[in-house]
Amino acid sequence: MEPDKEKCHRPKAFDKMEGLVREMQDAENGVPVRSQKLFLTSIPSAFMGKSHQAHHRLHLGYDLIEWLMERLSIEESEALNLANQLCQYGYFFPVSDSKNLVVKDDSSLYRFQSPYYWPYANKAPDNIDYAVYLSKRSMRNKQRHALDDHELETLGNLRKNLANKWDFITIQAEEQVKLGKVLKKGEKIISDSQERAYWRIHRPPPGQISSLEQCPVPPRSRNGNRTKKRTVEDGKREVDILKASLSRTRVKVSQALESMVQYVETYSEYDPIISGTQPSNPWVSEDLTYWQLNSPLVEIPTEKRVKRWGLSMEELVSDPTGLQEFTNYLRKEYSHENIRFWMAVNDLRRSAQSQIQRKVNEIFEEFLAPGAPCEINIDGKTMERVHQEMRSPSRFTFDSAQDHVYTLLLKKDCYPRFIRSEHYKNLLAVGIQPTTKKRFFGFGQQKKKTSTSSAPNPALLQQQQQSSQPCGISTGALSKRRGSDRSLSGSAHELAVSGVRGGDNRVPHSHSQSNLSDIPYRVKKPGIAVTSGASTSEDVCPWEAHGPEPRSRKNSTQMDSGSSASDICVAVQVAAEVTDPKVKKAGHLPQQSTMDGGKSSRKLSAVCCIEPRRASVSVPIDRKIFEEVSKVPTPTPAPTPTPPVPNKSDVDNKSEEICRTFRKSLSVAGAANAPTISVSSATDDGDVLQEAGADVVDPKVDGAEDEKPMEERLSAAMVEEEEDEEQDHKRRTEPEVVISRLALAPLAEPDSESPISELPPEPNFLSEEAKSNDVCPWEDEETKCNVDGSFRKTYTTLGFL
Amino acid sequence: MTSEVSGPSVDTVESLMKEAETLKIKLEEERQKLNDVTLASVAERLEIINYMNIKPRRTLKGHQAKVLCSDWSPDKRHIVSSSQDGKMIIWDAYTTNKEHAVTMPTTWVMACAYAPSGNLVACGGLDNKVTVYPLSLDEDVTLRKKTVGTHTSYMSCCIFPNSDQQILTGSGDSTCALWDVESGQLLQSFHGHSADVMTIDLAPSETGNTFVSGSCDKLVLIWDMRSGHCVQSFEGHESDVNSVKFHPSGDAVATGSDDSTCRLFDLRADKEVATYSKESIIFGVNSVDFSVSGRLLFSGYNDYTVNVWDTLKCVRVCLLYGHENRVSCLQVSPDGTALSTGSWDSTLRVWA
Repeated sequence: MEPDKEKCHRPKAFDKMEGLVREMQDAENGVPVRSQKLFLTSIPSAFMGKSHQAHHRLHLGYDLIEWLMERLSIEESEALNLANQLCQYGYFFPVSDSKNLVVKDDSSLYRFQSPYYWPYANKAPDNIDYAVYLSKRSMRNKQRHALDDHELETLGNLRKNLANKWDFITIQAEEQVKLGKVLKKGEKIISDSQERAYWRIHRPPPGQISSLEQCPVPPRSRNGNRTKKRTVEDGKREVDILKASLSRTRVKVSQALESMVQYVETYSEYDPIISGTQPSNPWVSEDLTYWQLNSPLVEIPTEKRVKRWGLSMEELVSDPTGLQEFTNYLRKEYSHENIRFWMAVNDLRRSAQSQIQRKVNEIFEEFLAPGAPCEINIDGKTMERVHQEMRSPSRFTFDSAQDHVYTLLLKKDCYPRFIRSEHYKNLLAVGIQPTTKKRFFGFGQQKKKTSTSSAPNPALLQQQQQSSQPCGISTGALSKRRGSDRSLSGSAHELAVSGVRGGDNRVPHSHSQSNLSDIPYRVKKPGIAVTSGASTSEDVCPWEAHGPEPRSRKNSTQMDSGSSASDICVAVQVAAEVTDPKVKKAGHLPQQSTMDGGKSSRKLSAVCCIEPRRASVSVPIDRKIFEEVSKVPTPTPAPTPTPPVPNKSDVDNKSEEICRTFRKSLSVAGAANAPTISVSSATDDGDVLQEAGADVVDPKVDGAEDEKPMEERLSAAMVEEEEDEEQDHKRRTEPEVVISRLALAPLAEPDSESPISELPPEPNFLSEEAKSNDVCPWEDEETKCNVDGSFRKTYTTLGFL
Repeated sequence: MTSEVSGPSVDTVESLMKEAETLKIKLEEERQKLNDVTLASVAERLEIINYMNIKPRRTLKGHQAKVLCSDWSPDKRHIVSSSQDGKMIIWDAYTTNKEHAVTMPTTWVMACAYAPSGNLVACGGLDNKVTVYPLSLDEDVTLRKKTVGTHTSYMSCCIFPNSDQQILTGSGDSTCALWDVESGQLLQSFHGHSADVMTIDLAPSETGNTFVSGSCDKLVLIWDMRSGHCVQSFEGHESDVNSVKFHPSGDAVATGSDDSTCRLFDLRADKEVATYSKESIIFGVNSVDFSVSGRLLFSGYNDYTVNVWDTLKCVRVCLLYGHENRVSCLQVSPDGTALSTGSWDSTLRVWA
């Protein structure tokens, strides 16, 4: 297209390619020569001049590939790709096919291009050169040198455009034809083919992109030196930068790397590509649940998301839901002016220039001016700086104050308190735990296994086609290359080794293969995200009934370790399915027993739903109450699948008790507490911190998933001694958990009725359970039984998820 | 920085260059003093990632020419892409539908970016300009387009720095610039590179005021957005730096270069800590991005492939084949569930 640009900027890759190509042509260690015997007729050996020897050689496609594989110790797929690149750039070309620059892994023949014709060997050819070449061909034997249609057309155009030079062009062409006649036949064939291949690269047929094309940006079209001329100013700047770098403090490489490794380890859990997504990756499963559960603002965040807030304050405030929860918490503590100030300054920094003046003043009036409605507490020095900056207001006016608030108040005080707070713990406890789905639901688009007997809808079909498109992954194991029996067309066993390609792929390595998924090398290994095909668990339908199930972590130890637990569930579910819909309610019972933890906690939550709002006057006080109450030892409900009933009533009583205590304390709190300022609440909190610290341990004690280092540190000290007490304590706090969360959730309506009666009658719950069951759209389950069956199989091979 | 007041001074370009050279040597010595361990050895305790099940899940067809740049919407499913023929397309990548197609008054639209709100996109290229388009389904997007800034050479990259109100650009004129979207005012310019700026990326921190740039002068520079000063520089690449990305921790940057290597530079150790290369990889890298944990580095090459690197063990995990021409751009989706790639074969693909 813009071929004259070629000369300008020669990418590094060409050096490397040329090095490789030279090695390939090495007489001893290069690609073996197989040609002469096969092609005696076209290239009589008699004509092979010594000087041209290299160019007379022909090579078999698979020899090229094999050589590359050995030389670079790479897999076949990679070698094939590389060989094709070299071919695209014109370092060798297929002898029998002048149209397609493609290397086939078979016995087709290839010839190396003369270095004279290598890209960048000379000035890029111009249109006159091309015109000469085309007219030359038009002068020669029609049979062998006839021009293609597009070439004819180009020749016509060139003749028009270069009319004034056409005589010259014709003379040149005639000269070259004459010269060509002097050549021996074999040499002629070779040079013709090389010339042709050269033009195939530099003037590709329409619709094909030349691999030599580059972005036509100005500096790249300048010859040679692409860096600008340096001025004194540049020099000074560089020296300054270097001087600054010299005085920079740096840490030991080991230290830096250790923390990087730690970071990655910590976050691997949150990396969908490494650890997968729960319940499934929407791109793979066609199920949007994951995105729905994780929208920026949600009523009830997933447990994982809440856990992530515990990693660092940055994690918390960069998540809109996290920021909202944090703000709510601080508001309860009457100390949310800090976070509000922080947000306002962030907003200021990102505001339009025209808004800056106004916003600076607003912020000052609200947070910093003497007697401001939301005065923040910063030291005199910082305040002084702010006042200085206020003289010339800018988007950075409050940076120092913001920094102060962020590091000293938010990060070192508010954030750790938040993480240790009931509020956070409760969020964690009610957090949604989407599990890998075990079966299909009727809603949403789902991808079905090909083996499904039910009729797939068109959208799905289309999707499947898409996903079987050309692609490939090749990993690790480089299996032995096949033997000498090479088929011409690329072959199945090759695919098995080297990954996927095919479909409409124009590029050489195209084999169509639909059955790839059956190929054994793809056996899934555990630990890596492979939610192939969606499976649905009942956790997916939570919004149909209540908010997602707040699963009590303590009771459900058997639920917690994802895989085994869900296996159990699968079993249960399947059992439930096999029994027909009429029996469904009954079928639900066994399940309940495995999950009683979750259920009972939800009931628990129901009980207390009213209280929280009123109780939220002051968190520290709440906590104390909880602490007190928790000192009354209560029998811990066994985590085994005991029937939930006794359990529940037990806890219900307790929680009722708490509620009462609450109300009592409330009046006290209400009186004393009204305008308590953040400072006092902070100190207030100090006492509680000790005890509260233990609360953070949640994940650890539960023996649930891995806990975060942060939490670990916070809690490590407390864990041992307070474990028992804490168990109780947690039980106590459980109700509150749900309180705020569920009370907020509009979906929790069915529950919110029951708390009104304070002690909800037992049957109520059961019926509700059943109701929720009915809502879940698996009515048509029987038809899908076999789907589930087959899916479950895959699921178990996955081992994990 | 006293660059503004150069005036007549005893310094000549030559003397300054000489000084710079000696400083560089000293700097390298300082860095070596603390170079006590390799990344691969620190990462030894980690398990090897030896299998990945990443496959193409979507193919976005609609561009008539090379796809040059793309960017994920913060909503995790839309993509904006720009191409050589001057088209910019907004895709719902999930359904593969095109929601907007905008024709730019230029070819080679080399950069495009989604604003954090998802309601605005910016693009530009050989026109030397950065133009923003508010997205609305009701009216023609081009009606409300607005040219924000103009460079003296092509615009190679752009990014919204956590705000719809500002845009940061890099250009062939070897500078970067921060613009006020509403007024088109140049808020800050960044001088320091001696050749085309090819790529920029923001530090991941919400409040962060730093960004990184990569250039054809082979340098990687870290900038303070507020002061406009370069605060750190990394050398090492042997050719153009085409792509640079902050590690999610914010403490390192990964780069991809025409020298066919990717590298990792640690900001605190102030040096290169890893090179990702193989003898068999001889083509330039156009684009790199991290998985959300930083464990994996995806890199798109001129040889049509995407290589996936284990950043810590410094080995290649796998190769992704599929594109039929150079992979020009690539980006992990905001929630890390997918990888988008754009190619000169005029398609985009989404892998997961």
